[in-house]
Amino acid sequence: MGDWQNSPPAEDWTIDELMIARLAACFTDGDQACNGMASFVPVSAFWLARLTHAPDLVWLAGAVGLEPRPDRVPASTLEAPLWRDSIMYVEQYGDFWTIALNGRWLTKFCVGSAQLDRYGNGNNSIIGTDYHAPRVRLPGTAGLGDMGSIGKSLYYWNPNHNPRSLVEQVDFISCAGYLGGGSERADAGLEGGPELVITNLCVMDFHPDTRHMQVASLHPGVTFEQVQEATGFELPAPEGQLPTTAVPTIEQVRLIREVIDPDNMRRREFGG
Amino acid sequence: MSAEKLATLEDAAALVRDGDTVAIQNMATQAAPMALVRELIRQERKELGVVCLVGGIPVDWLAAAGAMNRLIGAAVSMEQFGLCQRYRKAVEAGAIRVEELSETALNARLGAGARNLPFLPTRGLIGTDLIDVNDNLVMLDDPFGGPSVVACKALVPDVALVHAHKADRFGNIGYEPTALWPDLGIMPKAATTVIVTAEEIVDSEVLRASPDRTVLPGFMVDAVVEAPYGAHPTSFFPRYGYDTAMHLEWIGATRDDEAVAGFMEKYVTGPANHAAYLEAAGGSERQTALETWEA
Repeated sequence: MGDWQNSPPAEDWTIDELMIARLAACFTDGDQACNGMASFVPVSAFWLARLTHAPDLVWLAGAVGLEPRPDRVPASTLEAPLWRDSIMYVEQYGDFWTIALNGRWLTKFCVGSAQLDRYGNGNNSIIGTDYHAPRVRLPGTAGLGDMGSIGKSLYYWNPNHNPRSLVEQVDFISCAGYLGGGSERADAGLEGGPELVITNLCVMDFHPDTRHMQVASLHPGVTFEQVQEATGFELPAPEGQLPTTAVPTIEQVRLIREVIDPDNMRRREFGG
Repeated sequence: MSAEKLATLEDAAALVRDGDTVAIQNMATQAAPMALVRELIRQERKELGVVCLVGGIPVDWLAAAGAMNRLIGAAVSMEQFGLCQRYRKAVEAGAIRVEELSETALNARLGAGARNLPFLPTRGLIGTDLIDVNDNLVMLDDPFGGPSVVACKALVPDVALVHAHKADRFGNIGYEPTALWPDLGIMPKAATTVIVTAEEIVDSEVLRASPDRTVLPGFMVDAVVEAPYGAHPTSFFPRYGYDTAMHLEWIGATRDDEAVAGFMEKYVTGPANHAAYLEAAGGSERQTALETWEA
């Protein structure tokens, strides 16, 4: 392993690597992390964290394979060979959801969502106004409909920041964020909630009182105006200079390219 | 003396009737009882309700064949091969009605069905719009004074379709070490009729040698069919990987109706039986490649 602690910032980083490094920083020793379908950014982030600052981060690959030893990120993040060499297969009906629902474990969850609104509500169900006659049928809520409501801290990742995916109000809530904002989530008896939104343009968090999404840092070379242009709702004007998102280090970039994902599977998420 | 459960694929599929609610084991590109799904399409079954956790290509084929008019499940997706386009088109045209459940809500509905309870609760889904559009989900006050929960009405599928590694002729079902999805953990226990295809029918002594790998008892199973590569083109860990080429061929075909009809004729309705399907799908050469998990 290289000297990750003293590695200087990379110069030839790409946006996927920056997002992976930023997401990796959200996971520490003592956390357990799981991933679902087509989750190349989270999988790479967990793996990167384990190779650097969080060697004891527990990873449940595909929400099923505990502590697996794949030799690289494969085409599916849900099944073998990702879960090869696991120390345990966590049976879904009895074990996985018990672990997730208990409250002590898996306290953070990464969410990819077709639509995400200003209060952090996600939608993977339908586009349109009538649930039973949708304009577009999306894949469905799967585990998100649970994870949004059971006290998890939610980390959204979105490789294609645009006004169609970041909307004022989702057409349909299939993952509970801060609902209508303010205290609505807490009033509904829900703990946890959206923590961060990491996109290809910026990092956003949520105002502690209004629960409205706001820019926390801009990626290098990106302006607030560009982010606003690409967002389907009005973002609060920044107070003063916004920080710049840290770029990945030379060692982080090397690990992603050479060790974790030499086949560039993560690139599949950055279609445009 | 236990009852014999061995059946032909044709006779086993005939246990499914038009209009039945059919629980299908499947997790995106994994472990679907595809031989049975193809036989249901060959027998021109209609108006099926499909129950699945994450439905993939079996749902898209059933939708393309006009065999289903409702879905109960958590998601429909072929993961890296994208959305199931024929299913999606049918939903958008109003031909398939979707009851979308979170994973815990589906598990709760099936769990209640399996245990003869009116409902089981979940804490998932609270705050989402999925409760409002579903009569089978009702917010419920905790009788002990805690936070409200969502009552999920019992679901008893008419039939569950399962694919397994091994079975004996009495319907005892053996699994090799692999991930176990709720399909196996709860679906067959909730369903009235259970049909199992197995990679191989073995002597009961083989199951007795490792009873910890027996996952369903014979008395719960109504018919068992030998169907090697019966999950193809989905994967069946640890034996074979999913067939990337066939998934891509299907995705390519879903763009127009004629190509869909051609694909279905080539692989589903054309081949007279499971053996003919396996030949059409590339035969033993293709199977050997899929066993490397690199195909």
